[in-house]
Amino acid sequence: MVTTATSVTPDDVRAVLDTVPDPEMPPVSIAELGMVVDVRVDGGLVELDLVATYSGCPAITLISEQVAAAVSAMPGVESVDVRFTTDVVWTPERIAESAHDKLRAFGIAPPGSGQTLVQIGSRPAPVACPLCGSTDTVADSPFGPTPCRSSSYCNACRNPFEVLKP
Amino acid sequence: MSTGPRVSLVLALADDELVIGHRHSHWTGVAPHVEEDLAFSSIAQDEIGHAVVWYGLAAELTGKDPDTLGLGRQPDGYRNAILVERPNGDWGYTVARHYLYDTAEDVRLRTLADSAWAAAAGATGALLREERYHLMHARLWLDRLASGPIEARRRLVDGLIAALAEAPGLFEPLPDEDELLADGTLPVSHDEQRRQWLEIIAGDLSALGIEHVLQGEAHHTDGEFVATSSGELLSAEESDGRSADASGGLGGRHGRHSDDFASVWEEMTGTYRAHPGATW
Repeated sequence: MVTTATSVTPDDVRAVLDTVPDPEMPPVSIAELGMVVDVRVDGGLVELDLVATYSGCPAITLISEQVAAAVSAMPGVESVDVRFTTDVVWTPERIAESAHDKLRAFGIAPPGSGQTLVQIGSRPAPVACPLCGSTDTVADSPFGPTPCRSSSYCNACRNPFEVLKP
Repeated sequence: MSTGPRVSLVLALADDELVIGHRHSHWTGVAPHVEEDLAFSSIAQDEIGHAVVWYGLAAELTGKDPDTLGLGRQPDGYRNAILVERPNGDWGYTVARHYLYDTAEDVRLRTLADSAWAAAAGATGALLREERYHLMHARLWLDRLASGPIEARRRLVDGLIAALAEAPGLFEPLPDEDELLADGTLPVSHDEQRRQWLEIIAGDLSALGIEHVLQGEAHHTDGEFVATSSGELLSAEESDGRSADASGGLGGRHGRHSDDFASVWEEMTGTYRAHPGATW
């Protein structure tokens, strides 16, 4: 019977995924963003199902490459198959608590800041400013610098900030 | 069943998204103000990203890669509706087409959410979430122009009349529609989807007091598409200036396009054709 010197577990893989930064929000890892849906390990073969924060996200290819490189470098891993799935829909609620302060420091209001699902004809609710905490804010545009973010402005500290689209 | 009907379904969806995405991107840098520059650039990026989702499904069925499917076909290989290939024109036409298109997309995504084809149904979850913002943007501008000064309302009405004349092409039955309906890939026919769409827009336009723009649509409302002879409906004379013609913007699902498609096709496939097979 042959035994391998090292055997990788799904938890080991998840720990490595927690070191892969999101290209557009680098303080936060792709694991913290809730992009990891499933990790399957069979000996040295690793299969990963990820979900994109936005289906039109131009960073998908880059993320796949960085994830494949990070996991391939693990001892005992022979091949990595990274897939993006549509079995689940990403929403900001998938973001880990541990990432909230990192997002705030980066100028992005984390989930739970007052975002509401915008209904046609309704005004979006005020979102707490990630920089000063004030809710004296206005939604500038449902669009922002990346597909998954919208733009807001804080009347209290006079800073623009971004909101992850609910 | 063969994969052909499903390929034609996703190519129609993907090509509509790719081409309208390219047209939207033409506002980048030149929109009336910076918020709209951002909005149309962002919507363009979303739509082209959604095209990639549908090309991905087509790739699984055909074994071809999504880039080849998206950029490697001759003009008559594209299955987009004629409405989406038209130039942006003025802001009134842009808003009118944006509203009619995104309302149509909402209807067809909701339809596909019930598809017996699990991969297609699964894809609609994220797309519907993202498309809400497009629809919200379109309706905001529809309201704003309709209730604006006379010039704004006049341009919107002109834009709606021109776009409505070709909007039925968004619901042109696919060549393999019967097979798609039979196996539940398509839970509701395109004729029925068009009726649902028309009901929604009639309600919106009535609320704004501009329902008269739908009069030209009346002859299509029985859901019967007039069979069109190949090629004829797309002569330059007929498509010139987006004037309302009798074709209802049909032909795109069979690969028949207006002269306006040539320029957008050349632009969006230019780099791919210059460097076929290149890795970026």
